[in-house]
Amino acid sequence: MTAEVTHDVMEPAKPGRLRNGLLTTLLVGPAALWYVVLLVLPLAIVVIFSFGTRAKNGGYEPGFVFDNYIRALERPDPFIASLAMASAGAIGCLLVGLPLAYFIATRAGKRKSLLILLLVVPFWTSFLIRTYSWLIILGPDNGLAGVLGGIVGDEDFRILGTPVAVLIGLVYGYLPLMVFPLYVTLERMDRTLIEASKDLGAARWATFRQITLPIALPGLVTGTILVFIPMMGEYVIPQILGYGRTYLMGNALVTDFLEARNWPSGSARAVFLIMIMFATIAGYLWFVNRGRQARDVSVL
Amino acid sequence: MTAGTIPKKTAATTQLPGRRESRSFDRWAALVEGWLRAHTILVYVFLYLPIFVVVLFAFNDTNRRVTAWDGFSFKWFGVALGDTVVQKALLNSFLVAVPTAVLATMFGTMAALGLQRVGKKSRLFFDALTYTSIIVPEIVIALATLVLFATGFDFIQSTFGIKLNFGHPTIIAAHVLFNISLVLLLVRARLSGMDRTLVEASSDLFATPWRTFVQITFPMLLPAIVAGFLLSFTFSFDDYVITTFTSGPGSSTLPLFIFGQVKRGVTPETNAVATIILAFTIGMLLCAQMVLSWQNRRSGRKGGDMASLVAEQSG
Amino acid sequence: MAERDLEAMLARMAANKVNRRSFLATSGLLGTSAFLAACSGGGGSASAAPSAAASAAASTGASAAPAGDVESELFVYNWSDYISPTNIDAFKAEFGVDNFVYDIFANNEELIAKLQGGASGYDICCPTAEYVPGMVEEGFITKLDMSRIPNAATMNPAFQSLWWDPNNEYLVPKDYGTTGILWRNDLVTAVPESWQAFKDLVVGEASGKTVMVDSMGDVMVFPLKLLGYSLNSEVESELEEARQILLEVAPHVLALDSDTYGDKMANGEASLTLGWTGPLGQELADLVTAGTAGYSVPSEGTLFWMDAWVMLADAPHPNAAYEWLNFIQRPEVQAEETNFNLYATPNDAAKEFVDPAILANPAIFPPDDVVASLEGAKDLSGSAQRLDIWEEFKSAIGG
Repeated sequence: MTAEVTHDVMEPAKPGRLRNGLLTTLLVGPAALWYVVLLVLPLAIVVIFSFGTRAKNGGYEPGFVFDNYIRALERPDPFIASLAMASAGAIGCLLVGLPLAYFIATRAGKRKSLLILLLVVPFWTSFLIRTYSWLIILGPDNGLAGVLGGIVGDEDFRILGTPVAVLIGLVYGYLPLMVFPLYVTLERMDRTLIEASKDLGAARWATFRQITLPIALPGLVTGTILVFIPMMGEYVIPQILGYGRTYLMGNALVTDFLEARNWPSGSARAVFLIMIMFATIAGYLWFVNRGRQARDVSVL
Repeated sequence: MTAGTIPKKTAATTQLPGRRESRSFDRWAALVEGWLRAHTILVYVFLYLPIFVVVLFAFNDTNRRVTAWDGFSFKWFGVALGDTVVQKALLNSFLVAVPTAVLATMFGTMAALGLQRVGKKSRLFFDALTYTSIIVPEIVIALATLVLFATGFDFIQSTFGIKLNFGHPTIIAAHVLFNISLVLLLVRARLSGMDRTLVEASSDLFATPWRTFVQITFPMLLPAIVAGFLLSFTFSFDDYVITTFTSGPGSSTLPLFIFGQVKRGVTPETNAVATIILAFTIGMLLCAQMVLSWQNRRSGRKGGDMASLVAEQSG
Repeated sequence: MAERDLEAMLARMAANKVNRRSFLATSGLLGTSAFLAACSGGGGSASAAPSAAASAAASTGASAAPAGDVESELFVYNWSDYISPTNIDAFKAEFGVDNFVYDIFANNEELIAKLQGGASGYDICCPTAEYVPGMVEEGFITKLDMSRIPNAATMNPAFQSLWWDPNNEYLVPKDYGTTGILWRNDLVTAVPESWQAFKDLVVGEASGKTVMVDSMGDVMVFPLKLLGYSLNSEVESELEEARQILLEVAPHVLALDSDTYGDKMANGEASLTLGWTGPLGQELADLVTAGTAGYSVPSEGTLFWMDAWVMLADAPHPNAAYEWLNFIQRPEVQAEETNFNLYATPNDAAKEFVDPAILANPAIFPPDDVVASLEGAKDLSGSAQRLDIWEEFKSAIGG
């Protein structure tokens, strides 16, 4: 091996353009097909429904009115409540998940995979009985509320039915979605880069800020998105652990689709939610990625 | 390049002016390490506390409600092992979750790789779809997919005379959608900023693209692929809303069974089933770990990490 | 004797302005019980000597005239644990239906949404009766050939020809019950026997300890009946008055919970619940025996619900479905259902075989004077005003 490294980037063997295109199509094709059939088409149905009216016995009656959208705008409370809850939940997941992901990725060595697997195993029990277990753990009498209340001397001390219980439930339920993206990016982090940085005299914090954080950033972004977005639609955890005391977007959608069976109204609310969340994500991604080098050479 | 030895790193050579390397700094570093470790342990305690309660209450000698302790008994395990309905539900859960995870992982990974090759506009459009699939609330996509299938089945029946039914395929199809996006995002996060020099070196050494992929790229992506598979399986296995509306007679999964029980009261039988699943999974995990470390000891290797081992073996 | 009672009943009902259906309920119950009392050992299937095992079901009751071979499969879509396993086994054995698929839905809303979306494949399902007219209109269920269900004749006439199926063509009743007030009398000073007493307690000593089921139709009963209106009212002014009452109590409500309120009552977190009778036999069973928990049907009146069997429009196994519908109406089979589910059977001939303790329980089998005050609920989920009230109430819970 020679001392000098040829430094202009050698292109990998380039087959004909046709084969290139074919490969790309084959790779992206199945996912694209799924998106078209099982996402775009159903969403088209939702949009069509949103302009209709409620059929006599519930469901959809063809029409073209804006009433549903107007109605959705008139009652913004569920959306705001969901926004608050999802934000708190995402922050909670970040605070709990980031150190965990960092530890597993960089300190756990041989036990990495085991720890990662152990992270999801709890979720192979039923969601419902896990949540019911929290009812026992946080409950009165022998649960945490009873114990804490006994210490403080407050008989009516309650954790369940408060935002704290909901937050615990949310972080518990969504933690893997935050940890996994962080882990897969942090794990890739080349330790030699850190060594080099330290060798070159950088303080620990500077190392963290200029090496670790940029590498972890894609994982961070993915993690927060994967956690925040579904939490906007979450309603079962608040219903069970929060005693149904908050009326969220998820509740509103269930009320519309299932209780009132007003599919057009629910559809309009859903379209609003999707559009707002979409704009939020777009803004978030733009903000995070501005100034970053976007050019990633294809590895294939 | 000199043929001599590389000078050993000594405290003198690494000490550069201006760097504060004091004992208190070391103590702080040790504190951070300790805190990281403690945090991790606490999180696992947090994760497994409800699981412990679930397992505990599987031994609850009560007749109905699962939140009052009535004494110790194995009877619910007996009920679970003899209950064909629960067993069918569990089987259905696997029949849905495994294909979902396989398909989603395959298609998601392929898409992540392929998307690097498309132009910016197409990529943005695809991204938009990916994020949209995560944004759409479950109840909405569930009902819309139901309408789509029902309308589609009607159309197919009237045009071709073939009667399609709701069942495992419809559930799998619906589950795969969300999970493709999940895998896609995970693999992409791993890909972005991934060290391209190894790939370049590989082609410099005249390896075919396929060989480069198998020996360099794939192993580097493996943690993300495995993570995606695990998460997809978990979501599919535990899903309720989408499954409710896309299932048909006889394809009820375990969550459907359990949620349905809520009206009349969840019995410890559910806890027993969960405990059996847990025991089985953790048992398998420990076995796998033992086999791997035994293999390592045999071949004299130091590594024991499953992912790296698989990576090595695929090369 | 029966005549005089009937007249007194009529007078009372006229004063209460009860509707036609309740009148039938009362007179029917009265008449039938008088009849049974007078003619012990009279005609019909009631004369069969009660046998200990439900497997005696094979010997009594007419069987349906089959219109073809009974299929070996039956797909049932039902609430969880809502059919006695004894009955399922007996049915499978007698008719050779080896593959009895029993799938579960968690609530009516899911069932209807699924049917509305276009789902299919089941033979029989069991919605709450108020949804049946809508299902008929949408074409989800078929008209039943009652000649194939002769055992339905043992049904108490009070439960036939009701507003949800005036010609008895679409449904076969399964069981019925009420919505009322569950209480812990060791946690409140007075047992609430009326909606007014309930309200006073909710804003008073039971503040922060009251649970309501998460069901629009059931919760709306409370303010409307308190004000003396029909629980199916769609009069704008009446509903607005109801809204005010609901908003008044909202800050005092602990939880909206249809599933674990029994637990909350049992561990004392809640001392009052607007709900159903289910927990009486389960979570609260011990407390009921000890006399510290119970259930009241409020004096101003409340709703009665009925669950009913219907056959779906494209049922793949119609013959087996008819056999099932007929089988489940056999008195012993019905009684076994009541003994298992602890919900009242609308089938009078079955009462003979019902566990006497259950028969005597006024929460399960309400006495006639109570029955007079019951109103059948209508499916008013399309009322925009009701929905708006419900959403505002839900947002205001807990303050």
